[in-house]
Formats: sequence, structure tokens, C-alpha cells
Amino acid sequence: MASTLPGIGARPDQTLALNMKLLSHHELQGFGGIGEGMGMQLARDGRRILWLAHESAPKNFTAVDVTDPKSPRVVVQTELPHAKVRSNSLDVVGDVMAVAYQTSAVGMKPAGFDLFDISTPEKPKLISHFDASGPHSRGAHAVWFVDGEYVHMASGAADFQPTHPSDDQFYRIIDVRRPSKPEEVGRWWMPGTRVGDSTPPPPRHPQFDSGFRAHNTNVFPQRPDRAYVGYISGGAVILDIADKSHPKAIAHWRYSPPYTGFTHTVLPLFTRDLLIVSDECVYNDGKDWPKLVWVVDARVEGNPVPISTFPMPPVRAFAREGGRFGAHNLHENLPVPGSWKSEEVIVGTFFGGGVRAFDVANPYQPQEIAYFVPPAPRLSRAGAIQLNDVYVDDRRLVYTVDRFAGGLYVLEMTV
Amino acid sequence: MRSSPPTRDPLAGKLPVSLITGFLGSGKTTLLKRLLRDPGMNRAAVIINEFGEVGIDHELVASSSEQMTLLANGCLCCSVRTDLQETLRELFIRRRAGEVIDFDRVFVETTGLADPVPVLHTLQTDGMLGAQYRLDCVVTLVDAVNGLRNLDDAPEAAKQAAVADRIVITKGDIAAPGAVESIEARLEEMNPYAARTVAVNGEVEVAFLRDVGPRSARAAAGDLERWLAPSGEGHPEGAYLGRRVRAGGHDAAIKSFCLWFDQPFTWDGFSAAVQLLTSLRGPDLLRVKGLVNVTGERGPVLVQGAQHVFHPPVTLEAWAGDDRRSRIVFITRNIAREAIEAVFAAVGALSAQSA
Repeated sequence: MASTLPGIGARPDQTLALNMKLLSHHELQGFGGIGEGMGMQLARDGRRILWLAHESAPKNFTAVDVTDPKSPRVVVQTELPHAKVRSNSLDVVGDVMAVAYQTSAVGMKPAGFDLFDISTPEKPKLISHFDASGPHSRGAHAVWFVDGEYVHMASGAADFQPTHPSDDQFYRIIDVRRPSKPEEVGRWWMPGTRVGDSTPPPPRHPQFDSGFRAHNTNVFPQRPDRAYVGYISGGAVILDIADKSHPKAIAHWRYSPPYTGFTHTVLPLFTRDLLIVSDECVYNDGKDWPKLVWVVDARVEGNPVPISTFPMPPVRAFAREGGRFGAHNLHENLPVPGSWKSEEVIVGTFFGGGVRAFDVANPYQPQEIAYFVPPAPRLSRAGAIQLNDVYVDDRRLVYTVDRFAGGLYVLEMTV
Repeated sequence: MRSSPPTRDPLAGKLPVSLITGFLGSGKTTLLKRLLRDPGMNRAAVIINEFGEVGIDHELVASSSEQMTLLANGCLCCSVRTDLQETLRELFIRRRAGEVIDFDRVFVETTGLADPVPVLHTLQTDGMLGAQYRLDCVVTLVDAVNGLRNLDDAPEAAKQAAVADRIVITKGDIAAPGAVESIEARLEEMNPYAARTVAVNGEVEVAFLRDVGPRSARAAAGDLERWLAPSGEGHPEGAYLGRRVRAGGHDAAIKSFCLWFDQPFTWDGFSAAVQLLTSLRGPDLLRVKGLVNVTGERGPVLVQGAQHVFHPPVTLEAWAGDDRRSRIVFITRNIAREAIEAVFAAVGALSAQSA
């Protein structure tokens, strides 16, 4: 059975599904390109509002009422001030939302993040702006905001000059306990990446240099003294942030080269002493394959040991359909009401490989247990689906978004 | 969509497999021919022994290769090349790569002389298959013309009927008057826990052949009843419970009975009893299926096995009703009910009480 059946091979226009059922699809009023910011608000009037950060201008963010997952409705959609800024990332705590801003070049504004009061979802009200612009800064790429007190983020700063222009975004902790006046309380960057460091700059990745900079900066209430940071070319980093003004690296796992770089997310599974580490695919047509999700033994905190990777969908079936194919975002067990929290089932997006769920009950042999790969969205420039981010709510519903055109897909996970 | 534990549902994620078995001449080919044309078979994969026998009409074929044919009704038909394990594995891999349709269930034709039990074992002992597929049901065809004689003379035929969850009586239209009634009576003795239907010209509702086994750890009471005691269907719930299974009759070596246990088991006690039974009489435990009340578990534990191989037990999320007695159906060969009761009593498990 080696040959492909004539007429029924893998095609970008087909839907592939296992244990995930499409409940609804919303193109978001023609602006269906969504970044990697998804947050759910349990509004005071009982509605569930899903907040989405757009991949790029002209739109900033869109809120969708998903109370009835079969008929999502757009509640509000906002504009960015100009075309050279993107929001990409957001998080929601109660009625407050943090939205990141990253500019396409250094020295531009707005660069940093906004805090919004979203108690009336139809009318988000700006509370404050945290300015992270500067001569060497593009602002914030990703924010993590789950406790209502601190924004942890990957961002540049006015006073930070990187040794290499790609190393501009580092880990910053911003105190927002006075939401009208956010203040930086701590920061960490990889030694050698800032002009003036005593350590020499780290050697670049010979083929896939995406920079030594922070991507996801996750802090959970189970370990408020730890930050779990994906540091792109720098691998996975665990920081001791018991003293927020002096974060200290206590574990640093680097695996590129030989791998192809771009460590994106470090998701701790606290009850299991495991880390789930995802890469991000950033090249088209499988050029940077394999981009993986790793299972890492974290029993000895300072010595993370990779023990398996998630079984990936077949590269020959997906890599050349168009666009990217490989790991990207995970559902991060956000420690907020409404979010699904699982230490056994991990859900992630894989661009052209769709959204996929894995059972890590046996961490040495993760199993793929569900997937959904929508057909290429209309007008998508990639020519194939490019699922970018995923959020799972406590109803076991999976929300996933396309990077360019497809908008929002709402799925029921039956596994 | 109610909230549920953030773990994998051990049943819901697996593709259901219906095994279609029946003795030589029982009408499997006729039934498969009908099935492959049925609109209800959209997104089903059917694994057959040989394409030639089934005779797929050209106009029904959407596309095909040597071993696989996509039919116009959306049904994927493939032939077994080397062995069933390999075919099931290959099908899943190709489904994942988008090379075949997203089939959501599988029907497997077994050969006429085949003992279906090894196929059941395949599904639970092959790691990859067990992760992706689950046994939904065994469907056995028994023909009204020769079936009675086969049940008496051919041990394979008797075994096929004994392990069935569903029985289709075929050739009723060409059998002698009263033949269907006689075979029904005989099957009722052997295996009253299988639901039966009579097919005319090989036609049977697809629904009768699928969705028999529990589909989720959140299974509803009706689903469990349908699996464990379908002869209660159509009667007020539980009506079958009062029916005494007739003992003896012919010289039938095959017996079916349901044991009820008022007191919960410890898992150690229950598994010790099962281990003792399988080690002493494994080959004669044709089929065991039941819901067991195990101390400390949130819902009933679903157990099933055939001969010496048992599926991994699955704890369901909740009890469906007030009746929390354990209940286990046994289909045995040359083992009396009393012997099994004695084993449960002897291992210190709680004394068995009959329905």
C-alpha cells in the first residue's frame, strides 16, 4: 500500500479531523489574520468573550462572544494607529486586558503595551500605556498577564542597546498594581546580548539565526518565584524571580544547533515535574524542519533533560502545501477562570499541520489523540491553513486562529 | 459539553471497529455487497478479504488503487493484503496524512472459518492499534438454512455466535417454515445477550451494526444497556433481568449468564478472581463483559475480555443510576455458572448473587 490513491491524496482544500468537530467558523469581518494573543473573559453579565490580537495592521484586537460556541458574534473590533505596528499578543485578567505593541522598526511608537478596562466588552477603555520604545527597541512582542498584578513580557527598552540587532527583546517585569501607572520592577537578558556586558556575545546560529531574545515569559501561581522563558536562539530558560528586581537563571537548556532554533514556549506541568517546550517554525515549505514540541524531565530543576518529542504529522503530507509547517503555540493552562487546565492533554498549533492534541500521560511516549486541519482559507496568501494560536476553555472547546485570513475556528474536542 | 477532568477519555478518542463474522455460506458476501452501497456507510472504512468476491460495480467507484477503493457513497473499501494488523495500521497512517478519507469507523470482515477471538486480541495487544482503535462490537451472521447444523457440528460456528454482540439471521426467506424460529430459540439459549435481527436479501440497517460498545467514559445509561444487555431493548428498562436463562437444552456446551454482586469489589480482589479464572479456564471464557463497582472509583469500571486476554479496564465518570451492583456477563464453554461463582467466593471476593 505504498502508492497514494489517485485523486485522494492530501490537498490544501481538504479538511482533516480526528476527535475534533467544527462547531463554527468566523472570518472576523474580513480581518481573519490573528496573531498569538487569545484570552477569555467571563463577563459579569454571564457572557464568555474571547479576545484576539491580530497578526498585523490595520486591526488591533477583536472580541468575539462565544457564549454559544455554535454562533460566535463579533462584539468589537479596533484599529491600530498606523500600519507599522502590530499587537500580536494579549492577555485578560478579570476585566483588565494587556495588549502588546511591536513596531516594524526600532525607534517607532507605540511600542510597549496598553492596559484596557473591558468591563463593558463593547467599549474597551484605555487605562494606561506603558512605553517601551527607544532607539534600539521595537517594543513588546509577547505579554503574560494572569494575576492582575504584573505583566511579564518580551520587550525592548529605551535604555537597552543589544550587541546584535536581533537580540533587542528581553524579559521584563512590569508592576501594574496601580494600573494607571505601570512601572518596571525587574529584567533579565542573556549575558552577552547587551552592549557593556562583560560576557562576550553568544555565537550566532549558523543557518537559522532568529536572535537571542525572549518570546513567552510564563509565571504561574503554583511557582510565583519562577519564570519559564522561551529565549528563541537561546533555548529554554528558568529564572528565579523570588526577588523580582534581580532575576537569576537557574536552568538553561540549549539544543540549537544542532536543531533549528526558535524556542517559543516553556510550559511547566507542576504536578508531573515536566516541561513542555515548543519551537516555532518561521520558514516556509519545511525549510527549518523539524520544529518540535519537546517533553523535558524537570525533576532536577537545574538539569532539564529532554525525554521525548510529540509525534509530528507527516512532513511529506504537509510541508509543501504552502506556508509554514511545524510547532508553534500551546494552550498554556492559563491560571485564570474559564481556561482549561490539563497536565495530561496538551493542545498546540502547527501552522499547516493544524491544531493537535497530545496525551502525555506517559511522558516517554506522547500520543497524538486529536487533530483538526481546516482547508486553506479563502484569500489566504499562504495557500494552506496556517493555524497560529490556540485557547481551550473549561468546556473542552478549542478555539484556534489562522495567521492570515481564516479567522476563528471553534471546535469541540471529543477525546 | 459539561466540564470534565482534563485527561484523555479512554474510549471517546478511538475509532470503533465492528467485526463481521459468520460461518461459510452464512451470507457475509451478500451482506457486504449491500453494505458497500448503503448511504449510511459514508466515512466508514471496510476491510474485506477479497475485492473479487464482493464485485464492486464500476459506476460506484469514485477512485481506486490495487487495494483500496473509494466508493461513491463515501465508503472506503480495502482488501487485506498481508494481515489485518498491518492493514489497520496503514489505514490510520494514511488517514493522518490525508491520503484517504477521514473515516470514522471500521468494519472488518473475518473469514468464514476464522475464530474471531484472535482478532479481538489483536485490537487489545497491539500497542499502536489499541491506541487508535477500539472494539465496538462483534456481529455474527447465522443462516437459517444450515445455521442450526453448523452450530452443532462446527465449533468455530458456535464460537462465532457465542462471542457476538449482534446476530444477523440470514436466508430466512429461503429456509423451511419455522427455521427462523428454531434458530432464534437456539441462539437465545447460547447467547441471549446479543441482540438479533433477521435480514432479508442481505439487507440490514447499518445502525444495527455500529455504536454498540460504550463510546465515552461519560457514557449514558442507555449506551451501557445497549452494550451489556440489548435483549432488554424494547422492553421496559431492566425487564430482561427477570428472565431466567434456561439451563441445558440440547447438549450445548456454551452457556451464557449474568452474575450480580451486591457488595463493591476491591480492585485486587476482582483482578485476582479474573486472573484465577483465566489461568485455569482461559480458553473456555469465550467472552466476559461487565460493569464492576470497585471501591474508591468514581464510576463503574468497564471490563471486557475474551479467553485469556482482557482489555485495560476503563473507569467511567459516573454511575448512571441508583443501582450500583456489579454485573458481569459470562459466555463460557463447558463452565457452569456455579463454578465461576465459586471462584469469586473462593478468592475472598464477595459472594455472587444471581439476578
